[in-house]
Amino acid sequence: MVDPRLALLVFAALTVVALAVAWPRRGLLARVARYRRLTERVRVEDAVKYLFHAGAGGAPVPVEALSGALEIGRRSADELLDRLAALGLAESAGAGARLTKAGYTEALRIVRSHRLLEQYLADRTGIDPAEWHEVAEAREHDLSSEEIEKLAVRLGQPRYDPHGDPIPTASGEMPSTAGFLLASLPTGDAGRIVHLEDEPRDAYARLRELGFELGKSLVVRARRTTGVDVELDGVVVPLPRALEAAVTVERSRARDTTRARTLADLRPGDTGRVLRLSSACHGSQRRRLLDLGVVPGTDIEAEFRSASGDPVAYRIRGALIALRRHQATWVELDARGAEATGAPPDDAAA
Amino acid sequence: MHTTMRTRIPARDESLVQLGVRSGNWDYLVALAGNPNTGKSTVFNLLTGLRQHTGNWPGKTVTRAEGLFTSGGDRFKLVDLPGTYSLQAASTDEEVARDTLLFGEPDVTVIVVDATRLERNLNLTLQVLEITPRVVVALNLMDEAKRLGIGIDPAALARELGVPVIPMAARRGEGVDALRAAIQEVARGQVHTSPYRVRNFTPDIEEMIREVEEAVQRAAPGKANSRWVALRLLNADERVEASVPEEVLQVASAVRWRLSPEFQDRITQGIYEAAEEIVARSQLAGLRRARFDLDATLDRWLTSPVTGYPLMILMLGVVFWITIAGANVPSAMLSELLIDKIHPWLQATTTGWGVAWWIRGLLFDGVYLATAWVIAVMLPPMAIFFPLFTLLEDFGYLPRVAFNLDSLFRRVGAHGKQALTMCMGFGCNAAGVVATRVIDSPRERLVAIITNNFSLCNGRWPTQILLASIFIGALAPAAIAGFVSATAVVGVTLLGVLAMFFSSWLLTRTVLRGEATSFSLELPPYRPPRIWQTLYTSLIDRTLIVLWRAVVFAAPAGAVIWLVSNVHLGSLSIAEHVINGLEPLGVLLGMNGVILLAYIVAIPANEIVIPTVLMLTVLSGGAPDVGAGAGVMFELDANQVGVLLRAHGWTTLTAVSLMLFSLLHNPCSTTIYTIYKETRSAKWTTISTALPLVMGFVVCFLVAQVWRLAVGG
Repeated sequence: MVDPRLALLVFAALTVVALAVAWPRRGLLARVARYRRLTERVRVEDAVKYLFHAGAGGAPVPVEALSGALEIGRRSADELLDRLAALGLAESAGAGARLTKAGYTEALRIVRSHRLLEQYLADRTGIDPAEWHEVAEAREHDLSSEEIEKLAVRLGQPRYDPHGDPIPTASGEMPSTAGFLLASLPTGDAGRIVHLEDEPRDAYARLRELGFELGKSLVVRARRTTGVDVELDGVVVPLPRALEAAVTVERSRARDTTRARTLADLRPGDTGRVLRLSSACHGSQRRRLLDLGVVPGTDIEAEFRSASGDPVAYRIRGALIALRRHQATWVELDARGAEATGAPPDDAAA
Repeated sequence: MHTTMRTRIPARDESLVQLGVRSGNWDYLVALAGNPNTGKSTVFNLLTGLRQHTGNWPGKTVTRAEGLFTSGGDRFKLVDLPGTYSLQAASTDEEVARDTLLFGEPDVTVIVVDATRLERNLNLTLQVLEITPRVVVALNLMDEAKRLGIGIDPAALARELGVPVIPMAARRGEGVDALRAAIQEVARGQVHTSPYRVRNFTPDIEEMIREVEEAVQRAAPGKANSRWVALRLLNADERVEASVPEEVLQVASAVRWRLSPEFQDRITQGIYEAAEEIVARSQLAGLRRARFDLDATLDRWLTSPVTGYPLMILMLGVVFWITIAGANVPSAMLSELLIDKIHPWLQATTTGWGVAWWIRGLLFDGVYLATAWVIAVMLPPMAIFFPLFTLLEDFGYLPRVAFNLDSLFRRVGAHGKQALTMCMGFGCNAAGVVATRVIDSPRERLVAIITNNFSLCNGRWPTQILLASIFIGALAPAAIAGFVSATAVVGVTLLGVLAMFFSSWLLTRTVLRGEATSFSLELPPYRPPRIWQTLYTSLIDRTLIVLWRAVVFAAPAGAVIWLVSNVHLGSLSIAEHVINGLEPLGVLLGMNGVILLAYIVAIPANEIVIPTVLMLTVLSGGAPDVGAGAGVMFELDANQVGVLLRAHGWTTLTAVSLMLFSLLHNPCSTTIYTIYKETRSAKWTTISTALPLVMGFVVCFLVAQVWRLAVGG
């Protein structure tokens, strides 16, 4: 019989090795997979995509910026640009580089793949919003154009990705982006969030934590050197400069930013009329609510709570449906109550 | 300039081939659509009787039922579409339904509608009416509606919708003749339908429709359904896109840039507003308040923090108690009949006929004995437990249990209904897996399937009880021995529940991380259960399933057991070779080679583990005066078993390890087979099989080492 101490030791050692190899993202297997994915084609596509985004204003992109963004050395960046030039996708201009017409077309194709994938992740999977960008980055190089087009058809040819960015069509159409940076919104003016920058990942996660979402209204209360104070959900939120740069807004008339009353605020016996579903509710969750008849204009009565307090049973179109609390917070109610007639809200979008 | 990619849309015949619908033996194709839980399958069965078969949609993991029926000389092929709430093609079920309607162009589409949920059901109905005018609405559950005081006038509804509406109570077989007639009339074109089309979307959407509609009119003036074409173009419907000229596509493409993320919401809103109006104009009376009050009172008691939990524990406790107490006598009777009487009779009679020893051995000692064992052990508890559960389900109580326990399950990423599938698993894990169909969210359903094995099924109770009383009860003074061993078994059961929560948590954090999830839980109205009918049907069902399982899985296992014990390689039987080979691993896990071999051959059925262990122990270790020979499984009373096992080196550790391993090993082959049928995925089946096994190995290993360190072997 094996000595128990020895057996336990061997077991512990094997466990440690297994974890080191299989740990997500930082384990050996994950690193190897990432390394193998970075083939030349992938590097070229990443470079083209970066030049597209960074060179949006028309100015040439410096090589240092490219090397920093792609996390490669200066020499590798130079070689990469030479490769791009050889492929006819980019040309040097001044101290940097810029995309050629062919490069621009190629960039649109890559951007289309990326944004379609993000939309797919938001619509059909349960992957956390903070990870959409990263996962899309990893997978976009693996799909052929045919597969991308099939995906587009499956998703119903979506126009915008979950961050509010337009998805270029297969023929390369893309409208100019609406809205302007939050930094340009004067103090005291109201705006509606139309786009949230998805990189860097931590910044996007932080913005979501603070409550920033597509479609929400905000009002600029004060500007400082360190950033800006913004009124969101009725509360003043200080936003550092770095995060401020990630928010794009459109002018809006709605000056009331108080958090909307939601289904979660109803007590048993109360009734509310649905105003809209929050944009934080996406994919199959949103479709489920729509399928059950939770659409703008529906009257819902909270009937009773479960023995543990959550979920709550709601009477929706004659049926008794239990929803969890976090789902109930997605259903925004008409502030005027169930008796009000269905007049459209302030800036009702199409 | 760039040219748009135009997808080639296949002709109907091609589409039918792609959809896996064979042509030839039918005149008209009928599609059966409807929300889930509307009695669609009942309608399907009523129409096709036995002339049906189940298969798969090509390339998908969705099962499909299709059948044939004749009416008035015409032959109709009926294809059952998956139950869906909508046709947005956002899930595989919806894709299949929509593609069949759009590309398969059925001659008639029958939509089964729940009369007690009319507004919600009209969502799908109105969407189908947008696609095809040849529709018959089967207004089902009219008996239930009557009971709840909901009155729908089928004639008024038919006027509103513009298609035939046939009232039915499929459960009682009412309305099927009228339905058949209506299908035939629509198929032959004898009935002219003018389907309702939604026209009241929000102003911004109406504006966009108008713009595209104008473009359509310019390209094809006087075209009848230009509004429908415009709507389809806004939805990027590839079939319609392929049929309109380029200039119309350009306009549609430009307009589509103005679509807001809430477009689909607004469309659904328009559909529901239309549904509300239609229902209002077709209704005879509203819901009776009296019925609601009774329901409300029941709900107050069953879901209040004070009375909810105790009532739940009480009800489940009663079910378990009736099962355990009630199954004892029938099990003993079956065992006496099948094993003590028939088995020796079979041996004696055929010996008299001169049948060779090995044929008799293989057939009677192996195949027959295993099958008889499984039936004797499993049949009585299953025949009691499941009918009782079905009664609770019919009554409407079970969703309230899920409702109360949901917050616990939410924390580990699961669904409240997993509490129910877990309870079913205490009866039989395969039944528990099938029961996960009620969980309509993909991720949560997978979690429930994979972790169901940790519910200690009926087949494992005898093992646990026997070992607990011999080895653990024996450690306590005789007065409380029974109590101590019962506590041990309950402890193992609770450990299983813990393992279930832990593995649910682990799965949702790792393998199931990105799966789509959508929670909702409907609490149906309470319904007086039709007790005798339910008990009878459930009893028959369960008996048949147990018999089927015994024959398909246990019988071959019996053959293997006998062969392995009687076929010799060299001087030892195969069994003894394997036992010796597995001995080191067994000891490492706190058990021995005999136990491991028993578990390998008992993969088909947990019930035969102990008899196999006893037989193999005797086989490999001598004591030839015990038992009935090589390959013949047997049982003794508890004391005798204790003596035998201890004589062969079994200690308390062996028993504890075996009890843990019995809880945490791979599912039985019936369950594995069922998991594959339900998920249609080799990946998930493998994970379901491997996860408990790996956990079993790890836990037994750790317990054995720590035990030896602490107690010294």
